[in-house]
Amino acid sequence: MALVAVEGVCFTYPGGGRAALEDISLELRRGEVVALLGPSGAGKSTLVRALAGLVPHFHGGSFSGRATVAGYDTREARPADLAGTVATVFQDPEDQIVMASVANEVAFGLENLATLPTEIPARVEEALAAVGAVHLAGRRTAELSGGELQRVCLASALALRPRLLLLDEPTSQLDPEAAEAFLDAVGRLGSAVVLSEQRTGRALALAERVLFVDGGRLLLDAPREEALGWLAANRPAFLPPPDPAGQVLAGHVRVPGTGTWPEGAPAVEIAGVSFAYDRVPVLDDVSLTVDRGEVVVLEGPNGCGKTTLAKIACGLLEPAAGSIRRAGRACYLSQDPGRYLVRERVDEEVALAVGGDLRRARAALAMVGLEWAADRHPRDLSSGERERLGLAAVAVAEPDLLILDEPTRGIDPERKEALAAWLAAYAELGHAVLVATHDRAFPCHRRVSMAAKETVLV
Amino acid sequence: MKLATVPAALLFAAAAAAALLAEHLASVAVLFGLLLALVLEAPVRRKRLYLIGALASGLGVVVVWPFVAVLGEDVLWRGPTVPVLGVIDITREEIAAGTLAGLRLAAVALAFAAYALLLDHDRLLASLGFARRSAFAAVLATRLVPTLERDAAALAEAVRGRGLELDGVRSRAMLVSPLVSGSLERALNLAEAMEARGFGRAGRTRAPRPAWGALDRVAAGSAPLLVVAGVLWL
Repeated sequence: MALVAVEGVCFTYPGGGRAALEDISLELRRGEVVALLGPSGAGKSTLVRALAGLVPHFHGGSFSGRATVAGYDTREARPADLAGTVATVFQDPEDQIVMASVANEVAFGLENLATLPTEIPARVEEALAAVGAVHLAGRRTAELSGGELQRVCLASALALRPRLLLLDEPTSQLDPEAAEAFLDAVGRLGSAVVLSEQRTGRALALAERVLFVDGGRLLLDAPREEALGWLAANRPAFLPPPDPAGQVLAGHVRVPGTGTWPEGAPAVEIAGVSFAYDRVPVLDDVSLTVDRGEVVVLEGPNGCGKTTLAKIACGLLEPAAGSIRRAGRACYLSQDPGRYLVRERVDEEVALAVGGDLRRARAALAMVGLEWAADRHPRDLSSGERERLGLAAVAVAEPDLLILDEPTRGIDPERKEALAAWLAAYAELGHAVLVATHDRAFPCHRRVSMAAKETVLV
Repeated sequence: MKLATVPAALLFAAAAAAALLAEHLASVAVLFGLLLALVLEAPVRRKRLYLIGALASGLGVVVVWPFVAVLGEDVLWRGPTVPVLGVIDITREEIAAGTLAGLRLAAVALAFAAYALLLDHDRLLASLGFARRSAFAAVLATRLVPTLERDAAALAEAVRGRGLELDGVRSRAMLVSPLVSGSLERALNLAEAMEARGFGRAGRTRAPRPAWGALDRVAAGSAPLLVVAGVLWL
């Protein structure tokens, strides 16, 4: 008997015109690892929530069809009843941390499931060990980085020893090494796993079977080898990148000088800067130059100071030492920009940076494929769509130096390709682009690799 | 904190109560000083907002009090006559009363800051044998303060990152609505995650807690004595 059986499930969110899931049918066997792929807004997160019983119980809306998990019919069993049998790790770790300390956070689910108190400490330690986070046990959750929080969230799920583990983009905040370690831990579990990922390379390497969702419909349900053939024929962007080291763009254009900007002058020149947060040094004697016409990728592990350097380049942070020369306007797109939207309408959000010019705003929205959403509320968009909205809100001003911090997070491979192509074209117009990212495959003219307290040119 | 959570919470609450009840400026100043020293132990970034709030509100009371109170005869400064309020003057007694009130307010705020910054709220919650859901809501609300502070800073930075300057109250007011809606969204996401982890199921258990040591018992016993001292002697 299958662990999960989904039969003809359709679901529409309350107030939503379009069905988020349409006639989905599938089965999952015990211990099977399944990759769930698809563009952003395609229904992956909704399907994950349907398997956890959160759709329809938590979200409301219109639900038809039937989903059973380990014998529980999700129309009757509440998510709390399914907890323990099913465990879910959501996309944003900050929004799922309940307790103030790591050990208590991992114990939270066990306490809810009425685990014997004498068993709880050992189960907490075992789960933290499985994700290599025993050293975090005594830490306060408020002090952890995004990557550390993601590991704690996975440990909290593992502690329940679930029969079905649902992972909704669980590695979005991790650097490549940490993501690999995370997914290795997932692979060793023995539970059935549904892994929704935008970094398809690792998900495809781990999975025995692949599901592909688009427009709320299940377009593919096949073993990995067959799925790779289907992806190559139909959605090649979802295949692992042919060159994991990333494409190097052809030499960047030489931009003629202007009255205020002599030929050859860089867009930003950072020399020997140092910076510390609360006396904890993050940057020490770091230098970086970005020329007009080039796309530069700033890469390095979690906590190496990429974001700090990017903010210094934009002028959002003042270094404690060193100098910075910037020519023209610099704009910065923060991590998780979908959280930091300030207007009630999508087009007004974008127009904010250009003095309310809605015509330019709509052109920028078309550039990121969101022209259809111009009159919508920004918070009605999916997380991937919000990320693109954030990009439009910054790019609309056509800054001389465009700085993007983890712009590929939550963006599907097709959108990522489009973003890379757009940035290359933007640079060709004489602008400079600096991208801080974990994504080693992101195409660029030049890569700058950061380690703690130093930069190494690659 | 070397103390267990519950005795420490009792001591903070008792210090706040004693500061409110004490009559002598020196006693309140000592309580204020002790609480300030405790709060200064917290990490710089976390304590900043609490310190600014506590000290600014206390100072505000010290400054405003002499102008609105009518007390004492030892006039230090006589100002103009203002309609409704009458003659504005400042007396030695008003300054003393204002300082006492300001210190009391700051001490209470610092006691709350010590509770928010230094205690393990999870353990405090686990210690409650009743009204656990309400206590849970209170603990989550306490944790919302630093999250809100972080979100507000990130929101302002995101707007500045688009090349816009945030000058004055009006432009900053633009951030209030997204901050509130962002908090609601976070709250919904958290509620969803909690439900998915079995919150609300019957028969919840608790992870074992370490037993109280001698210091914890002394602290817990001292808390009511501190309140009594506040009423009788301080």
